[in-house]
Amino acid sequence: METNRALQELTRRHFFGGCTMGIGSMALVSLLASDGQGAPSAPATRNPLEPRDTHFPAKAKNVIFLFMAGGPSQLELFENKPKLTEYDGQPIPQSFVDGKRFAFMDSSHRFDLLGSKQTFQQHGQSGAWVSDLLPYTADIVDELSIVTTCKTDLFNHAPAKLFMNTGSGQFGRPSMGAWTTYGLGSECDDLPGFVVLQSGPRGPRGGAVLWGSGILPTSYQGVPLRNQGDPILNLSTPDPISPEQQRQLVDAVQDLNLKRLVETGDAEIATRINAYEMAYKMQSSAPELMETSQESESTLQLYGIKDPGESSYARNCLLARRLVERGVRFVQLYHTNWDHHGGPSENLEEHLPSISREIDQASAALILDLKQRGLLDDTIVIWGGEFGRTPMGEVRENTGRNHHIDAFTMWFAGGGFKAGQVYGQTDEFGFGTVENPVHVHDLHATLLHLLGLDHERLSVRFQGLDFRLTGVEGAKVVDGLIA
Amino acid sequence: MNKTVFLMIAIAATAMSASFANDVSSEIQVVFDRDVRPILSEKCFTCHGFDEAAREADLRLDTFTGATEEHDGVAAIVPGDPDASELISRIMSNDVDEVMPPPASREQLTSTEKEVLRRWIGQGAAYTTHWAFIPPKRPPLPEVTGTTHPIDRFIQARLSEEGLQSSAVAQPQTLIRRVSLDLVGLPPTLEEIDSFLQASEQDAEAAYQELVERLLASPHYGERWGRWWLDQARYADSNGYSIDGPRQIWKYRDWVVDALNADMPFDTFTIEQLAGDLLSNPTQSQKIATGFHRNTQINQEGGIDKEQYRVESIFDRVATTGTVWLGLSIGCAQCHDHKFDPITQKEFYQLFAFLNNQDEPSMKVYSDGIDVPALQAELAEVESQLSTIIDEQLDEIANWEQGIDEANKESLPKAVQEAIAVEQAKRSFAQKLALYQAAVELGGRYRELHDKRDELLATLDTDVTTFVMQERETPRTTTVLVKGDFTRPAEEVSPGTPSVLHPFETDAEQPNRLDLARWLVSPDNPLTARVIVNRVWQHYFGRGLVQTENDFGMQGTLPTHPELLDWLSVEFMERNWSLKELHRLIVSAHTYQQSSSDRAELRQNDPENLLLGRQQRLRLEAEIVRDVALKASGLLASRLGGPPVFPPIPDGVMSQGQVNREWNVSEGEDRYRRGMYTFVYRATPPPSLNVFDAPDGYSTCTRRIRSNTPLQALTLMNDAGFFEFASALEQIIKQDGLEAAFRRCTSRRPTEDELATLEQLDTLTAARALFNLDETITRE
Repeated sequence: METNRALQELTRRHFFGGCTMGIGSMALVSLLASDGQGAPSAPATRNPLEPRDTHFPAKAKNVIFLFMAGGPSQLELFENKPKLTEYDGQPIPQSFVDGKRFAFMDSSHRFDLLGSKQTFQQHGQSGAWVSDLLPYTADIVDELSIVTTCKTDLFNHAPAKLFMNTGSGQFGRPSMGAWTTYGLGSECDDLPGFVVLQSGPRGPRGGAVLWGSGILPTSYQGVPLRNQGDPILNLSTPDPISPEQQRQLVDAVQDLNLKRLVETGDAEIATRINAYEMAYKMQSSAPELMETSQESESTLQLYGIKDPGESSYARNCLLARRLVERGVRFVQLYHTNWDHHGGPSENLEEHLPSISREIDQASAALILDLKQRGLLDDTIVIWGGEFGRTPMGEVRENTGRNHHIDAFTMWFAGGGFKAGQVYGQTDEFGFGTVENPVHVHDLHATLLHLLGLDHERLSVRFQGLDFRLTGVEGAKVVDGLIA
Repeated sequence: MNKTVFLMIAIAATAMSASFANDVSSEIQVVFDRDVRPILSEKCFTCHGFDEAAREADLRLDTFTGATEEHDGVAAIVPGDPDASELISRIMSNDVDEVMPPPASREQLTSTEKEVLRRWIGQGAAYTTHWAFIPPKRPPLPEVTGTTHPIDRFIQARLSEEGLQSSAVAQPQTLIRRVSLDLVGLPPTLEEIDSFLQASEQDAEAAYQELVERLLASPHYGERWGRWWLDQARYADSNGYSIDGPRQIWKYRDWVVDALNADMPFDTFTIEQLAGDLLSNPTQSQKIATGFHRNTQINQEGGIDKEQYRVESIFDRVATTGTVWLGLSIGCAQCHDHKFDPITQKEFYQLFAFLNNQDEPSMKVYSDGIDVPALQAELAEVESQLSTIIDEQLDEIANWEQGIDEANKESLPKAVQEAIAVEQAKRSFAQKLALYQAAVELGGRYRELHDKRDELLATLDTDVTTFVMQERETPRTTTVLVKGDFTRPAEEVSPGTPSVLHPFETDAEQPNRLDLARWLVSPDNPLTARVIVNRVWQHYFGRGLVQTENDFGMQGTLPTHPELLDWLSVEFMERNWSLKELHRLIVSAHTYQQSSSDRAELRQNDPENLLLGRQQRLRLEAEIVRDVALKASGLLASRLGGPPVFPPIPDGVMSQGQVNREWNVSEGEDRYRRGMYTFVYRATPPPSLNVFDAPDGYSTCTRRIRSNTPLQALTLMNDAGFFEFASALEQIIKQDGLEAAFRRCTSRRPTEDELATLEQLDTLTAARALFNLDETITRE
């Protein structure tokens, strides 16, 4: 009898749970109902992304991480350092660099300080300094916690990106999006729980491991939404196949899988039935998601989108809003290339202003748009890269700065973050932290905390150890960032 | 009643039921390894364990001496007297400043755990060595009626303790599909199924035995089990990190396949991979084998410190060696003494010292059967004879040179012009040849030698290379690195092995990788055979006898069948470390051959199937999901080995990494090769493999995850590759009918119901449905 109840529940959920397919399989239910004896008991349906309880009440439900790949220069964007300008061209006092290591150590780059050529002004109630490169961001500073004292451990791109995403420079650890969907599940049953969007001239250094699930099942890995072709790999039905044929395919597969489930009693088949249901739904919901032309003219203008079909950071920001609107848990945008060393195509004179323009309006628009739709309260928005850049200049063909891990700037908004503050204080050159350092592990702990997860309890056992996003060295939730 | 309690303890090791605590009257003897150590390890060792630096209050609970030592007149443990033991009063305390574990640690003891500790101390607080550090001894076979197979005797003895029985043998069509997928990674053909069914009717046992022998002799056995090993070797075809350029190391992959097909004993297999270059007069093949530890990543990013990433690669090699052969998380001791297992940080660097002394070149690989040294000697001889001829004519050449003016110089071949520009004494051999040929009338002897030289050069020319290890003349100095930071060297160390394991013996003044490899496969090693046997077992049942296949240390789970594990390990070593013998032994057991369908009785008493009262349905590995579709559709190109291939992948995949990589789709049969031959870029792995959990090659993978996701459904339904395979299967449906196509996918005949469902579909949709069945991608 238990068999039948479970199966009826399964089929009911399967065929009536908002899913439009499979009416032809109804006969199966009665067929199963008459088969009382001998069959193994069928397990309940299992969905690895089923929403789960938080450890304590959460302030935020969703996360959008605007990842500025390459390491934006905080000294041209958020950190106003008159002393640096005053000492422009002079060597940095030895006491600052003793014992420090930098990328490109083996080359002959000098260690002279480089003053910023940008103009800074204070903005909003909070009086936060923002340079003229980010006029739109300047307008929304009262929504942001700008943290100038972020600190990471690794100074080469790929390991540092891995560290920002997984809390470790080692490969094989789950990314924060994977941890989040593992901890909370997803509230969306027709899109993946963790979605990745990319823009800029190239993919981020490190590739798929940045949104990987590591030692967690791949159910939790980030799914890249693509700008060309299918938004999700293999989303569209192969060319000559009609929608009817596709529906017949799914119906038949579900039918036959259900029969096999009854035959074997293997719960994995129930999971697979769920997966096909979601896959089928995704085939229509993902294209619908991508239809940004449905958005009003004023919304498109807000983000600075000229053509709703364009592939750009701005459109990705709009898609991010559409994703969280649909219950997607974690959205990550990567935008390249912020790696301004001073080479002919990577310098502070020309390329930094242009990439700043690419992201400024849309990042601010995302905050405003989320806010006016009432989504900002439970959506965390993060802006930042894998590290920042040195106060010392790097003089190659043009001017640039090297990678810097001791103090760099990120900002946070919504989802329980305090609005309208600059957090942390760096020294007069912006080299190190004077007050309130915030290590990447602390950022992770704070993020999870706002999502209702205790970073010390969110762990998974692998090779005898409890792995967690925040590592073992004592991360702390940064109270000063919480509203 | 007690049986249930025992079952829970033995299986879950730490998850004690409340009934245990209540059952005070029983005479259950607490067993340290099974009942106590897991509690101490989980809740106490972080602060009171092996790691001296992290030890609190100078108290260690991981040894009897440490735990019973008096501190200020009290001892944590007074054997036989729980009430006098400080440990008991601390764990029972209600005072937040007194209670252990401290509330801040977030660890808590359950009342059952407290009771276990109390009872253990009451019974004398005996400490025993961790089971995995004691070498396996062959245990007696349990007396069981109705079976003689050693594996079945252990399994059934345990089942009957719980009043359970094993399941019936699976249907013959299930059996042939199962054992074919397990041994060669391909489903059987219809002819093979039919002839097996027929033979089974005559004599099921003989038919099965014959089938197993055929499969073990198939060259595809090496592919299937080769991939098992390549996971552990973290094999892939690119350099990793962000730049992720392509690399050539597929000769190593082919070496693994060949070695397994030849059933190279596992000890030799180990030695050649870790130290083939250090054997006396190593063959080309033995050098290729050292690619095992060349499967580490190489960081090609600008601005890096090369030494940093060289050290990283050795960290990975130490950790991989520890995990693959010893089943220990030795990598944990990179920055500090191990928290749970008795491995010091110094010992980590002593292992590091073995692996720190090689150069890491790429070696040219010549076709089999070429005697390279002989050919090179012959070439040298030919060139020396040519030199003699040339030297006799030096004056004539000089005269000729003088006769050249600027005008006719330009009409000379480029090579000659270049040779003239070089001073006579500094000319290369090739330049001398060019000049000679221009200046002197060529004699027959010269021509003969010259042709011979061309021929030798052509034979010795190869564009196949592979990454190998090559020991340096002078070893590098190895030191402990503070917190694993390569800029912070500390105490210098020499090569050595962890003292908790069997002694390291060598006559060598400077022990090297070869000594390490021999130590790993020494018959005294308590771990290697167990770890490998367990990992093979895991492949057949979805779970090892030790569930934590990569951790046989204190934090690992206890074996569900310790005696069986030991029996198999001893047997494996005594059968000359033969993997084929091990496979033969396992697949011939009833335990392996029984049905995988669940039964109410098992579901109730052993829901996780730990006791193996049935087989286990297992979703196929990523590569084999592809292979099954290729085979069923008749497209499979079954050629073995060679360079990796580029079957079609969706557009845009290769631009997901930092560098856009080319993917020139292979033509002809290379489109239809087995999944294991697909080129794998670590940073942008092939989506249809990745989505089915193929490992990424970043670090060793000793057990694949089996996820079950909507993206897998999208892949099987819509991926261009699978669609192409389905179109081919459609032709088979048209030709041979639906039933034949169904059998090609599942090896069984469809029921009438199933056939009716499929018959409602057009043939293409039916073919696609068959590739989307859970059963098609599952080994039942």
